[in-house]
Amino acid sequence: MDPITLEVHWSRLISIADEAATALLRTAFSTIVRESNDFATVLMDAEGNSVSENTGGIASFSCILPRTTRAFLARFPADSWRPGDVVITNDPWLATGHLPDITAVSPIFHRGRLVGFAGSIAHSPDVGGALWGADCQEVFEEGVRIPPLRIMREGVWNADVLEMFLANTRVPRQVQGDLEAQITANQVCAAGVAEFLDDSGLPDLAELGAALAARTDAAMRAAITALPDGDYHAVQEADGFDAEKTRIVCTVRIRGDTMEIDYEGTSPQIARGINCVWNYTHAYSVYPVKCALDPFTPRNEGSYRAITVRAPERSILNPLYPAPVSARQLTGHLLAGAIYRALAPVMPERVIADCGGAPTMRCLFSGLDRNGDRFSQVLFASGGMGAAPHRDGLPTTAFPTNAGAGSIEAFESVAPLVVWRKQFRPDSGGAGQFRGGLGQEAEIEVRAPAPLRLSLLSDRREHPALGVLGGAPGGCSDIRMSDGTRPHPKSRTTIGPGMRLTMTYAGGGGYGPPAARPAAALEADLRDGVVTRPEDYA
Amino acid sequence: MTSADDAAPRARSLNEPVQSPTARIGVDVGGTFTDLVLHDAARGITHTGKLLTTPDDPSRAITEGVARILREAGLTPAELHSIVHGTTLVTNTVIERTGCKVGLLTTQGFRDSLEIAKEIRYDLYDLFLDPPPFLVPRWLRREVPERLSADGEVLLPLDESALLEQARFLVENGAEAIAVSFLHSYRDSRHEERAGALLRAAHPGIPITLSSAVAPEIREYERTSTACANAYVQPRMQRYLTKLEADLRDTGFTGALYVMLSAGGIASLREAKEFPIRLIESGPAAGAMAAAFIARKAGLEHVVSYDMGGTTAKMCLVENGAPHRKHDFEAGRVRRFAKGSGLPLKVAVVDMIEIGAGGGSIARVEAGSGLMKVGPRSAGAVPGPVCYGRGGTEPTVTDADLLLGRLDPAHFLGGEMALDQDRVTRVVEQGVAAALAMPVADTALGISRIVDETMAAATRMHLAEKGRDPRRYTLVAFGGAGPVHACNLARLLKMRRVVVPIGAGVASALGFLVAPPATDAVRSLVARLERLDWDRINSLYAAMRAECEALLVEAGAAPDAIIWQAVAEMRHVGQGFEIPVPLPGLVLSAHDLPAIRTAFFTAYRERFARIMEDAPIEALTWRLSAAAAPQDISLARAATGASATRGTRRLRTETHGEVAAQVLDRYALAPGARIQGPALVEERESTTIIPPGAVAQVDDMLNLVIELP
Repeated sequence: MDPITLEVHWSRLISIADEAATALLRTAFSTIVRESNDFATVLMDAEGNSVSENTGGIASFSCILPRTTRAFLARFPADSWRPGDVVITNDPWLATGHLPDITAVSPIFHRGRLVGFAGSIAHSPDVGGALWGADCQEVFEEGVRIPPLRIMREGVWNADVLEMFLANTRVPRQVQGDLEAQITANQVCAAGVAEFLDDSGLPDLAELGAALAARTDAAMRAAITALPDGDYHAVQEADGFDAEKTRIVCTVRIRGDTMEIDYEGTSPQIARGINCVWNYTHAYSVYPVKCALDPFTPRNEGSYRAITVRAPERSILNPLYPAPVSARQLTGHLLAGAIYRALAPVMPERVIADCGGAPTMRCLFSGLDRNGDRFSQVLFASGGMGAAPHRDGLPTTAFPTNAGAGSIEAFESVAPLVVWRKQFRPDSGGAGQFRGGLGQEAEIEVRAPAPLRLSLLSDRREHPALGVLGGAPGGCSDIRMSDGTRPHPKSRTTIGPGMRLTMTYAGGGGYGPPAARPAAALEADLRDGVVTRPEDYA
Repeated sequence: MTSADDAAPRARSLNEPVQSPTARIGVDVGGTFTDLVLHDAARGITHTGKLLTTPDDPSRAITEGVARILREAGLTPAELHSIVHGTTLVTNTVIERTGCKVGLLTTQGFRDSLEIAKEIRYDLYDLFLDPPPFLVPRWLRREVPERLSADGEVLLPLDESALLEQARFLVENGAEAIAVSFLHSYRDSRHEERAGALLRAAHPGIPITLSSAVAPEIREYERTSTACANAYVQPRMQRYLTKLEADLRDTGFTGALYVMLSAGGIASLREAKEFPIRLIESGPAAGAMAAAFIARKAGLEHVVSYDMGGTTAKMCLVENGAPHRKHDFEAGRVRRFAKGSGLPLKVAVVDMIEIGAGGGSIARVEAGSGLMKVGPRSAGAVPGPVCYGRGGTEPTVTDADLLLGRLDPAHFLGGEMALDQDRVTRVVEQGVAAALAMPVADTALGISRIVDETMAAATRMHLAEKGRDPRRYTLVAFGGAGPVHACNLARLLKMRRVVVPIGAGVASALGFLVAPPATDAVRSLVARLERLDWDRINSLYAAMRAECEALLVEAGAAPDAIIWQAVAEMRHVGQGFEIPVPLPGLVLSAHDLPAIRTAFFTAYRERFARIMEDAPIEALTWRLSAAAAPQDISLARAATGASATRGTRRLRTETHGEVAAQVLDRYALAPGARIQGPALVEERESTTIIPPGAVAQVDDMLNLVIELP
């Protein structure tokens, strides 16, 4: 296939995945899907290899979906699929690492033949179990586990299974609505592929998929080859759970056109929900590499072939069933920082310092509002991004995840809560030639008639985002109640009417020595009040 | 000044009395040219003109242009009924960051909302992306103790002395305009209004923008951003519009002066001075209104208008004679075609997509994948494509079109420009073909295929978001490159018909003359349908109606001729995206609930193909649009009467390899003429490609109506 036809077909296939993503995003109820972009749509060939992925969803999901699809194929052989089938799972080990994400895959038929799969992943509004807890001891407490099963057979719901599942969720209507949104997205994708095959005259996606994968593979290998061979190390520590601190030990081995990321020496798995299954470990290891080495080539199955990821079994980065895994992002988001610090000496122009928003910090309020309606609201907000080689870190922006923030007015209009302030935190950006991105602080008052449930997911209370190449760390996170107490940072608790909760989000690490910061930049920061301690830059 | 493509204007006989002021002029001030079009239905004349924009004082080119076009038409300023003006001044001020120093006053605890923004990276993979812009630096954002709840309850009274103190700080530090944005002011504007009164009294020379006046919609970041942008452009626009009016009056002009708003309506100077941000898309709106006019005249109900120029292609859905509109816009993007990289503005605009695909879009081979990409980088007008011979060194879409035989190397731009084919061949060979290991001719065809696919993908996505199927639509093509690529784009989208109006360069200016007086109002009130306070909704609509009626009457509409359209934005409780739902009237009660619910489900199904009947529905935002009927102009023209045939040219096609295409002179084609493809129909600003198997017919307005095989 000539390179021009390849390009024309590729952009068409990406736009098909994007159309599917648009359909999903606009009909989903889940606020996590909407505000955190916690979803993905992937178009795969008949063997479950990724051919194209949507542009804007969560990078890690699109990397995992093909693997989940191949697990489906192992259970349901290719010749058993029929048009209108939908297979789903939320198994953390087969899919994206925790129960709330539902993976749905539909077969694509063209002229009576199975030619590929349309897949989508979305964070469900609810899957039962412990709502947003990092404190469970086994996966069974975390919600309903759905093994790979046909939720739809030839367009007909598997009503018994659906009813069983929905009966175990808090908001069944919304859960079903989002499942339907995923199925719609898959249908959009399948219809787009069928039309594409008609237009192009191709019999299926096999040859095209292979040709595209060869291109992305070559692009990544070329970028890796440009780095000097060697072993590069970094250690990343985090608060972990109580006495059990998390210690990520990362070795990156560059050999010719391949890269191996090895987490030998990392903390063992623990009996709390911050274990990060291997699928998630892999996804959050290759994503930061892609950003640094080959950001602009679109992704598919070939993008990550040159990269091997190893994590010892029973470590916090490769826990075994039935470990609790609900808050696996609190561990998985740390990997980018470890990899970048390991590689900083050999590619200083391509990395950023640690991010205050890695991992994300969340508070979820749930209970009854003044009308007696049940509500559940997450305050989305991020810490600061790490500083870059030529620029200050972005304030209040998450990396490696891309969770956005909603409006406070919209937040207050659907929940009995008042946010009294949400503002930058001066001095929270790590000092450096380039300053780390600022964190922020939000103060939330409960105005419900009765106490609300409060779930907290956070880290970085004791472990700030580190700087690189001489940059200083950013400010740590904190969570405080107006009565002066500090709730457990990974707990489920309650908060009474009139109480205020202050969420303090971490700043990003600095890049380069603080003394090298240009005087004009420091002056502007002082005038804007985002730096109040010029001595940090002495 | 030219009037080359006009039918011979009717000469005015000396005994014709000088009387009724029936002539109207549309003026479009662009970055390079100021375009004028004069139409007088009573006298049956149309004139067009073009002169260089005078950036130091744009009103100079306008007054000069008006005087010249009147002279050519044999009219006096007193015979002018009105002038409709569109300008890129607002958008350029935002893009070039040349607005005034703005101070912002916010609710205590929220001065950083403007910079915290949406906390999202608009490119997932670019570690070094530039953040979206904001117009007011932190030290000029000051906080005032005050707070309302989401229900409008006062949680903290406005601290008036703190307000005045902060305002004094801003003015002493050089603020030339002040924006005020308090939380929940869309729900209850009392604190903002009180602040506005105090500020105007204390600082009479400083324009004050209240967020609740410019964009009374929920979501503080977008509303604050809109208020700041309005304040940012206001002093300059007020000076400019005041001077323009005075200059025109000095010439003896006694008619009305209107401006074109971003949503395609015309408005009074008062509205433009108070809310200059509503002019942000003034120019592109005129193009869409022109497309809508062509569609109405040609009896086309489902149209995609497609305008491909040197740098971008713009597509807009035109249904039942009106362009689609939306209520948010992104201006001044730091990465031009990246959604999320600009300033969000809550203003009504024509709903258009703009992508980096134009005649000047540059082809290159990407290092990583080894594949060819076309655009979004563009050679623009300077240096332009290689074939222009003005120093362009990278191969562009226009260069490829030349090599494919689509453009006449000897007669480009009506013969004003000779194109250098040999040089183009060398650049395409060295620039891309060699790296792809493909022949130059195939590479040129590839450049065209890639840019066509890019446009098709963007159009497909735009229509998919609205639940529309492109196959039902007719493509109406404008711009220099539009007619060249229209049939390919239509083929990729499986559209069956393409319409190419004559005189692509003039068509857009017609928009000023056919646009009706129109404006919009909005309020936010969030509630589930079954809990709505209808008295409150009705009072919101009564207030909006009064507001719109006053503006429209000033803009020349008769009150009883106004067409009202009420729309609420609704969603299922728990969802994050609202859909517009038409309401049965401006006075509503609980009896209307079943009809409103049905309308919601109809709109929902149209967009998402399924509904959920038992999930509760809530409304957030209530809109009213008001417009007089669109204006009609008569454009019947005659052909030159010369022979149309100019010979044949080798044309390389996507579908039939190389063919011999007849070459025709557009101006010589009379209504009713029928053309069998392959053919190339040349006019001054563009060439229409009629592919093999397609048949074109010239209609009464001299449109080429092409039916694809």
